[in-house]
Amino acid sequence: MKIRINGEDRNVSAELTLYELLLEMEIEPTHPGIAVAVNREVVPKGDWRTKSIGENSEVEIIRAVQGG
Amino acid sequence: MQKLQIADKTYHSRLLIGTAGYPNFHVMMEAVAASGAEIATVSMRRVKFTDRSGENVFALLRERGITILPNTAGCFTAKDAVLTAQLAREALETPLIKLEVIGDDRTLFPDVEQLLSAAVTLVKDGFTVLPYCNDDPITCKKLEDLGCAVVMPLGAPIGSGMGIRNPYNLQIIRDIVQVPLIVDAGVGTASDAAVAMELGCDGVLLNTAIAKAHRPVLMAEAMKKAIEAGRAAFLAGRIPRKLYANASSPQQGLMDALL
Repeated sequence: MKIRINGEDRNVSAELTLYELLLEMEIEPTHPGIAVAVNREVVPKGDWRTKSIGENSEVEIIRAVQGG
Repeated sequence: MQKLQIADKTYHSRLLIGTAGYPNFHVMMEAVAASGAEIATVSMRRVKFTDRSGENVFALLRERGITILPNTAGCFTAKDAVLTAQLAREALETPLIKLEVIGDDRTLFPDVEQLLSAAVTLVKDGFTVLPYCNDDPITCKKLEDLGCAVVMPLGAPIGSGMGIRNPYNLQIIRDIVQVPLIVDAGVGTASDAAVAMELGCDGVLLNTAIAKAHRPVLMAEAMKKAIEAGRAAFLAGRIPRKLYANASSPQQGLMDALL
């Protein structure tokens, strides 16, 4: 199915949970300092295994970088 | 000497340091250490799927006992700033947020309308809000009234190194605001930081002045000393300015003029 991750259109497997999506994107879900929003709503880490990702979802995966 | 208190935590250092723009990661860590800062800012950005370097900047700083202050840099609307703050809280497990809502790419001046709107939402949502704002006493007072933990007016545009462009406004802000007053942005060198502190500010947040100095670690040390000196001078109380001289040596017991 088609979704948008960090501003890029991507084709990913259908019927994914957020946790599975992260693995598919080769992002280690246990990596500290990552947060995710789906359709502009933050999904708490505890919900990543149950949160399902639908067609055309907009996913933002962010982390901390050096900043001022 | 009284310590800097932000929300329920006290800090010995009155310097808050940014972590961007250093020659390399090692110099940044050395500069943070030399500055004595106990609070360091980070930004929230999209994970890159190709480059995973530097993903643990916050973890390394935390290992050294540094409080992480995520910012909303790059946000132009209240909506984006609120989402960024919520993501930062989730990612870094902190209620602290340096709230920046920028109005214009060229000046990086805050958009006051959007800033106030975001501050209302974030305070209600339980954040400890540290807003970057204009050196406008009314805006600062409004931010205090709606529950921000500090106010952080700019000294000059971000990264400009122009120093404290409106010391009189900072003095007025000092008079009317009870929460800690931290100058954020514009400091170019140590004397600028000292001026801010002599005006009665509680702290200084800076990044570029250290990161882009020829020797960042040495400048970090200079900033630390300047902020300590400026704070001490403020507490000591400066003498009034006079146009004419006032001899410091005794005027009694002078010898007659030798002819």
